[in-house]
Amino acid sequence: MAVEALAAAVRSGERTAVDTVAQAFTRIEEVDASVGAFLELWRDEGIERASEIDRRRDSGETLGPLAGVPTALKDNLSLAGHELNCGSKILSGYRAPYTAGAVERLLAADAVPVGRVNMDEFAMGSSCENSALAVTRNPWNLDMAPGGSSGGSAAAVAAAEVPLALGSDTGGSIRQPAAFCGVVGVKPTYGRVSRYGLVAFASSLDQIGPLTRTVRDAALALGSIAGPDARDSTCSDLPVENYLESIEDGIEGLKVGTIREVRTSALDEDAAEGYGWALRALEAAGAELIEVSVPLIEAAVATYYVLANSEASANLARFDGSRYGHRATGARSLQRMYTDSRSEGFGSEVKRRIILGTFALSSGYYDAYYGRAAHIAEAMRQQFASAFDAVDLLVTPTCPSGAFARGERVDDPLSMYLSDVFTTPPSLVGIPGVSVPCGLDSRGLPLGLQILAPPFADAMALRAARAVELAIGFECSPEAIR
Amino acid sequence: MSLDVEEVRRIAELARLRLSAGEEATFASQLSEIVDYIDQLRAFDAGVALSGGAEPEREVAANDVPVRGRPLLDDFLDNAPASLDRFLLVPQVKATPGGAE
Repeated sequence: MAVEALAAAVRSGERTAVDTVAQAFTRIEEVDASVGAFLELWRDEGIERASEIDRRRDSGETLGPLAGVPTALKDNLSLAGHELNCGSKILSGYRAPYTAGAVERLLAADAVPVGRVNMDEFAMGSSCENSALAVTRNPWNLDMAPGGSSGGSAAAVAAAEVPLALGSDTGGSIRQPAAFCGVVGVKPTYGRVSRYGLVAFASSLDQIGPLTRTVRDAALALGSIAGPDARDSTCSDLPVENYLESIEDGIEGLKVGTIREVRTSALDEDAAEGYGWALRALEAAGAELIEVSVPLIEAAVATYYVLANSEASANLARFDGSRYGHRATGARSLQRMYTDSRSEGFGSEVKRRIILGTFALSSGYYDAYYGRAAHIAEAMRQQFASAFDAVDLLVTPTCPSGAFARGERVDDPLSMYLSDVFTTPPSLVGIPGVSVPCGLDSRGLPLGLQILAPPFADAMALRAARAVELAIGFECSPEAIR
Repeated sequence: MSLDVEEVRRIAELARLRLSAGEEATFASQLSEIVDYIDQLRAFDAGVALSGGAEPEREVAANDVPVRGRPLLDDFLDNAPASLDRFLLVPQVKATPGGAE
């Protein structure tokens, strides 16, 4: 059952929050041994929170828009008193001393967190295989990667373990796993959702967003977690729209841009075909397709990996064994303790990226790498702004292919990075991106369409995603865990 | 450009990381490939002057209100690998004389 219907039934008293949450735990027990999405379940607390919601309803209180909805949290979102590992050994034993702003809003909307889900270590990866803690599988084919870094969030929703999960997206980490698992994933406009309590990877790019089975559910969830937060100075004060209000308005007469530089030759055959279906669905729904040019998107992956890793090398300096997490034993000096703790605690991909970021920021290389990448990102922002002068929305495939096999790319980091070719440009320019399923490839694996809108036009992107969803009639019903 | 093992070791030291010999060799080859890829940025003429930082939409300043109290400190120290009384405990800044450092 979808978020919207569940919450409505709990609000009206047609079903109890306790039953709803208990059913989620039963489903998780049935399938998570195969899927491997969850790192920890909060069973007693979840049931307790649900019974409190039922009690409040019985006493006549009006419940929130996510009443009783079982929700999974990515392992980088703080919930006070609960362990938070970011998929890393270096944070083992760490307990969040406070609750993230987005999670506070989730609780205020009466959602029920049921556990934390797996991710690539520090959100660095596109397959969930960089997690130091667990293996997560794609519910459509257990040999395939669920995508990443929010692979646990996407897999849990696709396997119908929970109807809603929160993820975080820095260069595609919500949209790419959503596409691989056949669910809807939203990276909101930068600043739409508070990052307070989200473990930082690249602070100028990170955004929290929902993963759900339907576009309406994503709209409902985004409306619940978005909004100002004085504790995140980059969080916008703009009022939050009711994303459901205009969602059924359709896209008749809207100008939808395809990007000339998105070459179908960069896609595998199936992805190119799926993209074609999506474009025809948009046209059938009444959109006018117009080709526009955003030449710098061809520089996006390289730009992204310089900027994101530079920020990561600074943000991850705090993990040194002194204040929390893993501390190496036996070090006789402070410096030695830092180096030993970090070298033991971080996995390979995190080390690789810290080194890359340190290199890009180091004396003698700063101008050639960080400086140039910052220039290009700014120019790309202007190119996107010009494109949005001509069109209302832009579309691309979410990824160049459907899910790849687990193990296929772990030893080739560059090929892993290249799967972010379409998701990194919107991250660099701060605009909203929605991935909506647009069909299955010849292997029976989902494909996604990415819909982009100008800053803070998240509602329009969702509205177009809804039109595509209706036109294509995709059903998220993965074979492997039925 | 390619990064050799010595360069990788030097950058790792700047980042307070120590790599095994195997990691150094693997990283040198993988990072060289990645840096080669990133070097394509030279071909893109950004054509814009980088300002001294984008103009903020608004000035943002947090209220300068001290937060005090045992619970906050307790939460903080609960996560500490080692503490003594109300302080974090860490190894001394300089190595023990005669120690290995």
